Parts: sequence; structure tokens; C-alpha cells
Amino acid sequence: MKNFLACTVAFGVFAFSGCGEKKDGKASYALVTTGVASFWDICKKGGEDAGKELDVDVEVLMPSSGDDQKLKLEDLLAKGVDGIAVAAIDPINQAGLFDEVAEDSILITMDTDAPTTKRQVYVGMDNYDAGWMCGELVKEAIPGGGEVILFIGRLEQDNAKRRRQGVIDCLLGREKDASRYDAPGQSQIGAKYTVLATLTDQFDRAKGKANVEDMLTKHEGVDAMVGLFAYNPPLILEALKQAGRIGEVKVIGFDEDEVTLQGIKNDSVYGTVVQDPYEYGKRSIEILDALSKGNTSVIPENKFVDIPARQIRKDNVDVFWSDLNSKLGK
Amino acid sequence: MKKIKGILITLIMIYVATAILGENFLGGYNQGKLLERTGLYGLLAIGVAFVIITGGIDLSIGSVVCLVGCGVPWLVMRQGWSPGSAVAIAMVVALCVGLWHGFLITKLKLQPFVVTLCSLLIYRGATRGLAEDQSQGFGGEHEAFRQWGTEAIEVTDKFGIPYPFVILIVVAIIAWVFLNKTIWGRYLFALGNNEEAARLSGINTDRMVILSYVICSMLAALGGLLFILNGNSAQPSDFGNFYELYAIAAAVLGGCSLRGGEGTIVGVVIGTAVMQLLKNMINLVDWLKSHMEFLIVGIVLLVAVIADEMIKQRVRKLK
Repeated sequence: MKNFLACTVAFGVFAFSGCGEKKDGKASYALVTTGVASFWDICKKGGEDAGKELDVDVEVLMPSSGDDQKLKLEDLLAKGVDGIAVAAIDPINQAGLFDEVAEDSILITMDTDAPTTKRQVYVGMDNYDAGWMCGELVKEAIPGGGEVILFIGRLEQDNAKRRRQGVIDCLLGREKDASRYDAPGQSQIGAKYTVLATLTDQFDRAKGKANVEDMLTKHEGVDAMVGLFAYNPPLILEALKQAGRIGEVKVIGFDEDEVTLQGIKNDSVYGTVVQDPYEYGKRSIEILDALSKGNTSVIPENKFVDIPARQIRKDNVDVFWSDLNSKLGK
Repeated sequence: MKKIKGILITLIMIYVATAILGENFLGGYNQGKLLERTGLYGLLAIGVAFVIITGGIDLSIGSVVCLVGCGVPWLVMRQGWSPGSAVAIAMVVALCVGLWHGFLITKLKLQPFVVTLCSLLIYRGATRGLAEDQSQGFGGEHEAFRQWGTEAIEVTDKFGIPYPFVILIVVAIIAWVFLNKTIWGRYLFALGNNEEAARLSGINTDRMVILSYVICSMLAALGGLLFILNGNSAQPSDFGNFYELYAIAAAVLGGCSLRGGEGTIVGVVIGTAVMQLLKNMINLVDWLKSHMEFLIVGIVLLVAVIADEMIKQRVRKLK
């Protein structure tokens, strides 16, 4: 027993002696994502490239849920990283946690902001504006107006809410107001365009596909379907293909899944709105490094480093895709 | 017939209600899709029914779905294997998974819940490592291979019987014959009713338990294969999440008792159909909101189980 205790203490001393020290004396930063997706792999590449340029250590953590994100952040604090860029899963309820992190380390947000917290700056795009751009693509795809159905993974997170609202407000010809929120269970009827419904799938792909199929049953005359999370447009395409209705129903996407991009090339998808996750990762690490060296000039007055979204259509899909592949080293 | 009466009435009631309240519910396209989904989820439910009949449980089904659903496209698209050899190796892996579960449960006397809970984590973790957390799918390739999950035997212009449903029916018939017409089927029920008595009467109970886990894992693998052929998109971190619970729920709805010794294959297939029908109803009926899905499914499940129990008690009293 004594030996066991001695071993335990010795191990504890050994383990804790490493705490707070960097293995090679380099500064270390972390990117914490909202989940696991190819989108985040691109972000990771951007962060790692910045790490190489600045000669700092970059760690990228991809949690499986909001609870897991909390654990990952706590682990990073325990390790003593110099700065963290986090994509907030639930900005309002995580506020306490983020403030805690901001006290012990440098905290910035990327991709999804948590504006009520002590984070120093937000790197990303405005999801409401990006949703609006997606709405513009819908208008181009069905210029005569029509019925539109939206598909999205979940609506609990802030970026999803804003993105969806942007599409709806653009289609209904409303004034821009990002604080508006239409309940997902109801149709939004405008002069030319009607948003019939918003369907969520909680990341269950079979359910995501079933949602599309059920909407093809319920609203046979639907004119356009919009997939607002990266995996939604491919599921829409798959369901349309199996129903033999490709081309009949216009598809507008979000993000840059390969199937979506291929769809734009062969005319089964009208267009997609892409963010720039590579730049999110790269700029986040650059800003964290500047802040840790005491350079606060990297923070703009509105605390928002804007990395705008872009619309991808048939005319620019090739250029975009080859640039993406070169960034990913493919 | 008596055993499936309750669930059959539930199915008919929901079917009629949706036909009246839902839009285009009776259209050929929607009916085909319902059969397709029943086929996909039904395979998992029949598999878990075998385990439940012996008094066990398998929580690793969703992770086996993930392992095969991500593993097969990974082998075919990233490693250049032929679809046939990828499917063969997937089935061998599933066989080993079942043998492994059975071995731990019968020889090391570990509890099925614990064994398969660990497996749930291990197979998903292994898949995420193997696929490096990347989405898996066949892109636009291997259309002929994918037909097993997407095509249908055409009946009319708009309605066909989907291959996954045909496969389910074939599996269900084999399972029914095995359970009801062979001595091993009797052994399985006997074992579930009273393992000690079954062993003392000379049944090799260990072998039967191992067999039930092998059947469960292999059907989960077949289901996982058809899921990916059908949907063509799988993310290792969430593909098949909670599918074991849908399978267990369908089996229980279909009359399987978690105490073991009870269950019918026809009931399990109908139980699966009820689950899929409910989800379809929530999407097609205007005033049912999709965020109420779990609430509605949970309530229907509970009501069906209560009704079933009350009928059984009445039957016992009458005897």
C-alpha cells in the first residue's frame, strides 16, 4: 500500500511538472470547432498553415457536442495554451464558460460569435448576410417566384438561425433585420415567394433525406429546395434523383461539399454560398499571436473581422474548386 | 396472430389517420418510400429481436451501421477495392463482432449491456480513426452497386417495391422459419424464458447466445450497407447514431419482451413500419410540428406497450 501511494505521488508530481510549460518553448494556440465536418478540415488547414508561418504550435479540437466543447476548453486551460479561438455552439448558455476561459487565456470567437461574452474579437462572416446571398441565388434560379422549402441540420445554434432568417427575409422582400425570427413550423408567405417550411434533421442523414422525400410528397409543386448545412444539398440531390425530379426542382446550397460543386458543374444545383473556413483558421491564429504579443491593433472597433461569404455559380465554380483543392493540398 | 393484434391495430389506425389528415400520403411515391425505410430499419430490428428473445441486448447496432456504412465506401473509393470484396470483408468483420460479443457474454460472463455499450464506443471510435473523420460516399460512381439500396421493382409508373424492402421480406421469412420451425428457434425461446432450465435440459445455451449476437451484428452490417447505398453520404461521427434505440423500440413495439422468451418476426416488421409511419405522418400532417417527433413517437410507444401488457394480463386472467 505504501509503495502504491509513493508511486501515485511520484506519478502525480511527474505529470504535473509538465503543466504550463510548452514542450519546445513555442507559443501554443488552439482552434475549437463546433463539430466534425469537412468544413472544419479546411479551417484546420488554414490554422496549421498560419502556425507554420508564425512558427507557433497549433492544435485543432473538434468536439462532438456542446458538453464535449466545454470539456475540450477546460482541458486546454489545464494545459495552459496561450490563446483559443472557439466556434460557439450555444453563445447564450455558454457565456459563463467563455468568460471563464477569457480570464485565464486569450479568447476570440470564429465562425459563430458569442457577442455577450468577454471574447476579444469575432472572426467570421455575418450568417444573416450569407443567408441573404443564398436568398438572392434562389431568386435567380426561379425569377418568376414560387414555393421554397429549407433544410437545415438544426436551428438551436445562432449561425443556423441567422442564416435561415437571411434567406427568408431576402425572399419575402423585407427590410434587413437580423434580430427577426420566424417560427420554423409556419409558412412565410410573400408577394412572389413562399417559404413553405424549414425541416431539421439533427445531423441524422437518413432523416435528412427522408425529410426531402416527405416534402416532395406533401408539396408536389415545390419550385426550389435550399440546403443550408453542408450535407443538406447532397441529400436533396440524392432524393430528387431517386424521385426522377432532378432539374424540375431547383436546388440551392450552402458550403462546398464536393457533390454540391459537382452539381453546379452539371446543372443539377443552381448555386451555393461558400464561407472561407481556411481564412477563419488562418486569421484566427494570426490574431491570437498578435494579441499574445500585446498588439491590440488587430482588433477593429466593432470587434468583427469580416471574412465575407461568396456566391458560387456555374461561371466561377471551376476556379473556386481548384483553389480549394490547392489549399487542401489535393 | 393474437400476439401481433395490438401492433397491427396501431399500424392500421395511424395509417388511416395519416391518409385522412396528410397530403398525398397515399401517392405511389410516398408508399414506396415508406416500404424502403421499413426495409432499412427493419433489418436492424429483426437482428436485435434475436438478441432480445434470448434475454440479451445489443447497444452497438448503430456503431456497426457506422462501421460498415463508412467502411465500405472507404474501402471502395479510397483504397480501390472492388465493391464485392468490400462487402465480403464487411460481413466477415460483422461475423467476428458477433462472435466477440457472444464470447465475452458467455465465456467471461460479462453483462450484455456493458459489453455492447463498450462496443458502441469502440466501433464508432475505430471508424472515425479509420476514415479520419471524413465524410464517406460513392460520389457519382458505382451506380450498379448502389442499385441494391436505391432501385425498386416497378409496379406502376409511380410505385415500386424497393429492393431494401424485398431484402427485408426475404430475411424476415428466413428468420420466421428459423424461429418457429426449427429446433434452434425453440432453444432460443427456451433460453430466454429460463436459461438455467434450458441448460439443465441439455441445450448448449452458450452456443445459442453467441448465435443470436452473430445474427444481430450481421443484420446490422447488412442494414448499414443498404443505408449507405441508399443515402450515399455518411459522416463517421454521427452516421447510425441512436439506430440501436430505434431498432429496440421497434422490436418492443412488435411484442418482444426485454425479459426474454417472447417475440415475433411479423410483429417486429410491423413495429418498424409503425415507427417509420409516425415520422412520415409528422412531416405530412400540417399541424404536427417536427420538433414534436420524439414526443409523439415516445407517447405512441408507451401507449402501445401499456395496451399490450393489459391485453396480456386479461388473457392470463381468462385462462
